[in-house]
Amino acid sequence: MNDGPLIVQSDKTLLLEVDHPSAAEARKAIAPFAELERSPEHIHTYRLTPLGLWNARAAGHDAEQVVDALLTWSRYAVPHALLVDVAETMGRYGRLRLEKHPVHGLVLSSTDRPVLEEVLRAKKVAGMIGARIDDDAVVVHPSERGNLKQALLKLGWPAEDFAGYVDGEAHDIDLAEEGWTLRPYQREAAESFWDGGSGVVVLPCGAGKTIVGAAAMSHARATTLILVTNTVSARQWKDELVARTSLTEDEIGEYSGAVKEVRPVTIATYQVLTTKRKGVYPHLELLDARDWGLIVYDEVHLLPAPIFRMTADLQARRRLGLTATLVREDGREGEVFSLIGPKRYDAPWKDIEAQGYIAPADCVEVRVSLPDGERLAYATSDPDARYRLASCTHAKIDVVRRLVQQHAGQPTLVIGQYIDQLDEIAELLDAPVIKGETPVRERQRLFNAFRSGEIGLLVVSKVANFSVDLPSAEVAIQVSGSFGSRQEEAQRLGRLLRPKTEGRSAHFYTIVSRDTVDADFAQNRQRFLAEQGYAYRIVDAGDLSSESS
Amino acid sequence: MLDALLVAGQTTSADLISIVRADEARTAAALQRLLDLALAWEAPGGVRALTGVADAMRGMPGLVSGLRPSSPEPASPDEVAARLAELTPAATALLRHVDDHGGEGTTGSARRTVSPAEARSPAEELISRRLLVPREGDAVVLPGEVGLALRGGRTTREPVDEVPPLATSSRDVSLVARTAAGAAFDVVRRVELLLDHWGVQPPSVLRSGGLAVRDLKAVARELHVDEPGAALVVEVALTAGLVAEAADSNGTPSWLPTDDFDVWSGLPLAERWTRLVGGWLASSRVPSLVGSRDPAGKAWNALAPELSSGLAEEARRLALQVLAEVPEGEVLAVGTGIASLVQRIAWLRPRRPTVFADLVTAALSEAAVLGVAGAGGLPPSGRSVALGDLPAAAEAIDPHLPRPVDHVLLQADLTAVAPGPLETEVARRLHLLADVESRGGATVYRFTSGSLRRGFDAGWSSGEVRDFLTSVSHTPVPQPLEFLVDDVARTFGTVRVGHAEAFLRADDEAALAALVHDPRGRSLGLRLLAPTVAIATSPLDVLLPRLRELGAAPVVEAADGTVRVSRPDLQRARTRRGRRPAGAVEARQAAQVQAVATAIRAGDRAESSRPASAEATTTPSGALAALREAIEAGSTVVIGYVDNHGATGERVVDPRRLDGGRLSAYDHRADDVREFAVHRITRVRHA
Repeated sequence: MNDGPLIVQSDKTLLLEVDHPSAAEARKAIAPFAELERSPEHIHTYRLTPLGLWNARAAGHDAEQVVDALLTWSRYAVPHALLVDVAETMGRYGRLRLEKHPVHGLVLSSTDRPVLEEVLRAKKVAGMIGARIDDDAVVVHPSERGNLKQALLKLGWPAEDFAGYVDGEAHDIDLAEEGWTLRPYQREAAESFWDGGSGVVVLPCGAGKTIVGAAAMSHARATTLILVTNTVSARQWKDELVARTSLTEDEIGEYSGAVKEVRPVTIATYQVLTTKRKGVYPHLELLDARDWGLIVYDEVHLLPAPIFRMTADLQARRRLGLTATLVREDGREGEVFSLIGPKRYDAPWKDIEAQGYIAPADCVEVRVSLPDGERLAYATSDPDARYRLASCTHAKIDVVRRLVQQHAGQPTLVIGQYIDQLDEIAELLDAPVIKGETPVRERQRLFNAFRSGEIGLLVVSKVANFSVDLPSAEVAIQVSGSFGSRQEEAQRLGRLLRPKTEGRSAHFYTIVSRDTVDADFAQNRQRFLAEQGYAYRIVDAGDLSSESS
Repeated sequence: MLDALLVAGQTTSADLISIVRADEARTAAALQRLLDLALAWEAPGGVRALTGVADAMRGMPGLVSGLRPSSPEPASPDEVAARLAELTPAATALLRHVDDHGGEGTTGSARRTVSPAEARSPAEELISRRLLVPREGDAVVLPGEVGLALRGGRTTREPVDEVPPLATSSRDVSLVARTAAGAAFDVVRRVELLLDHWGVQPPSVLRSGGLAVRDLKAVARELHVDEPGAALVVEVALTAGLVAEAADSNGTPSWLPTDDFDVWSGLPLAERWTRLVGGWLASSRVPSLVGSRDPAGKAWNALAPELSSGLAEEARRLALQVLAEVPEGEVLAVGTGIASLVQRIAWLRPRRPTVFADLVTAALSEAAVLGVAGAGGLPPSGRSVALGDLPAAAEAIDPHLPRPVDHVLLQADLTAVAPGPLETEVARRLHLLADVESRGGATVYRFTSGSLRRGFDAGWSSGEVRDFLTSVSHTPVPQPLEFLVDDVARTFGTVRVGHAEAFLRADDEAALAALVHDPRGRSLGLRLLAPTVAIATSPLDVLLPRLRELGAAPVVEAADGTVRVSRPDLQRARTRRGRRPAGAVEARQAAQVQAVATAIRAGDRAESSRPASAEATTTPSGALAALREAIEAGSTVVIGYVDNHGATGERVVDPRRLDGGRLSAYDHRADDVREFAVHRITRVRHA
């Protein structure tokens, strides 16, 4: 028996004992190939997945290293079958290579003829390949480069793409490091992306993914298309790029529902690209509007399905994906891997927090009891209406008021799902509301006022979930959410994690109605936060006043 | 050696030694051993094998070298060589082909009796020169002396005294030991998990005696192994005597853990492992066949009784012994190692059937799964197993096995992680309170409201649950978990459910209380649930009259709360009507009467025609003669006849025809011609 910090389970999970003296070393050894699944206080769980192992292969690790890391750090013997499986899975990556052939153009080649034969006989691949050049290579239609990679991944033989990229139209972009510098991990992320060609950078919310994008653009020095989730986020990208790079406002175009400009750097929303009219995507031409040298996908985990299809045609261009998590609720991680690229950089949330780049957060669940009248209404209502009833109880409003008082002077956000509830709270607290119908200009004005400290309290609906940068927020109070989605939880928490002055920690309150579906959903959230390693407390609304801030 | 002797027939020892392709001294020693074992003896004309030996060895496998014994009067080697030299290239090629394929072939259209001069085909050329000897049918065999000549005067082309080397590579000793111990721990854990599961939900025994494929698949899923892996675990449990056939609670034959299992689960890990290994080593079962098909195309089921081979045990022991020859610090090379070991065993035991190699290969992989071998080598524990010393094996493996732990780590995401195998008692309790999420060296448990409720159902109180959690956790119990326990405790039992046959409602609380407390009504099992509601354990039809006796005037409520007026229903039956026309019944009765009368008359005839003195012919030949006589005379006889039910009766018949062992005769009672089997006729007598 070895006294290692790692326990390898037969279901391919790895348990890492955090308090073990050599835990840090072991973590370093397994991080390249294992996906961190949960990181609660004592034992972190990693999982070995084919994608994770292939990501490791793409990053230059081989099976020997993986097996060695497992054997070195494992406390108990490692199940033999698992080791065999690791070697087998990793051996599958790179047997097939997409390459540029001087005569035939794009070819799929292999050193392992049976594998090539196997995939060539697969039905899925049939339409994508052309004439056989010799025993070990076959012509690929350039337009099918992405589809082929997708199909090969599904067959379990992911191809390594060595075919290179077009340079795109050159355009000078430099970082303007005046009064700020690229953080070490941001520099590393941008560099490993550039060396890898295409791929995904995983950084927690608040860690400055926009800057990584800007750094990648300064590497590419070419026209860039940036795809973001919504208009507000598009404006923020623009502001950030103007501030952090040599780009001027005129060089950056916005392509959204309202404005349609195509400039050397164009920021488009997913929504406008995926708008379908009479069965066609009228804005697809944007992708061909210029000879883009780099395409940046913000929030890759939210990439809508049609974008995947479009991305399949963009394989000759460099692609950078930015995300806080590779986990997609729809399980399309494989498509991100094959179409955008393998994971090129990953920094765990907690590590960056430890370096002081994001603020620590204190998560508190406040339980309120429904008043008797509402309890009866809840018990007799339709199941569909129950969540809303439980979420919007009046008991919560009082708690919000007390929490706001408690944190008076600290910039506070109240986040909710239901507009009438938000309106009511806003009225009571005399605070502005941002919701779907608020015009973009008004939204920006309010956000700016909040950032500058003019407004200390803002009530926001789910429009603010994504990519809205509110670095000054110190307290968030969540009154209702969309059925306990983990995705949403991460985003909302992310709003709070911008580093605070004086190293203060952020407070994240969730108000939950006891003994209702609201509490059931809260369990999901609680699990997610605890798994992310946040201290999570539950307090009763009655005990709140005795809590110190 | 024995092989060469049989090929050569009777020969001098010098000649014999010369035809074996091996070191002379060793060959001589081998010959001496054969003589010592009395498998061969020195006859006046030279050494020869014992008569029975050749027959015993001429079984299916044939001779190891693939040669046939020489013909009775063999040509001298020179002569054979000369005849070989005369052959056309095509004939030589054919001859070599026959030699390579077991020394036997068919000639097809080739003529048997030809002289060398008139031979037209290569086959005829060979037969004419007696290089191939015709046998029954169109088979031909290659005689031993020709085979020897083809192989340059030796029985084999390869030297036979060189031990096939084992392909090995070096590996860290501790790695081998740890890999093996890991597998050992895994197999013990899997067997325990399997039988824990089967103890609750036993799979049924197939009619053919095995385990259904579906059940095996379920096992594979449960244990996170593939199906062959699951089959091995199941078979190992069987050979260790931990599982057996028995009737489950419904009476269907099922696979159940034996009472030995309870003893076994209490043993230390190392001893549990040796029990499994000991059972495996000594058994004749062949788990590797599970899932493959028998010659009839039927898939083998795990635990099927036919799934055994007399060679399995020898294959296992031999494989381990040979593996033990690999020095410490070395293991079988990846890829080539197993093949070389199989070859070595084929050399050591040349006369085993071809399946033996498969058994050896299977034994090696089983040994790896069971933790006897690890990473292709034998750790010290495995070496002890190879020597058959199980206690020593237990001692050797013990330091490498995970220590049982008595604590878990509780986390805020409502999981508990046991960083090693939990002590049985703690594990059982935790199992009750939490669901298992991941297994392996460690176990991950998850607390949910459902799992905690299970604990409350089993009689735990929230205080006990908290105390237990505090006692098994080294770290403080996380606050969300405490909240969860409290939440579940708070809602547990808010709704109570019980049995009642009837309920009583009354607006008058005093009247109801009086009824419930009336000593005369004690047998009704009345209990007050609320001031205005009581329940009774007696059914309504008992309750109602008793309540009336007690002076109450109850009204019955229907399920929807409406009052039901009770008035005893008047009962009526349906008038019966005859369905058959009267005439049919009479006709049937008349026919019956007639049949009875006919039978009685025939009986009377038989009675009247039975003279007191008439002697019956009882011998078979006599009976036949009497029957023939009656046929010719056209007379009536009485025969004793055993009918289909074995009853003996007498029949009065007029025999008509007798052939094929059957008598055709007019039966007076049946009033028809009937067939009688002659062998059933016990006697024949004139009427």
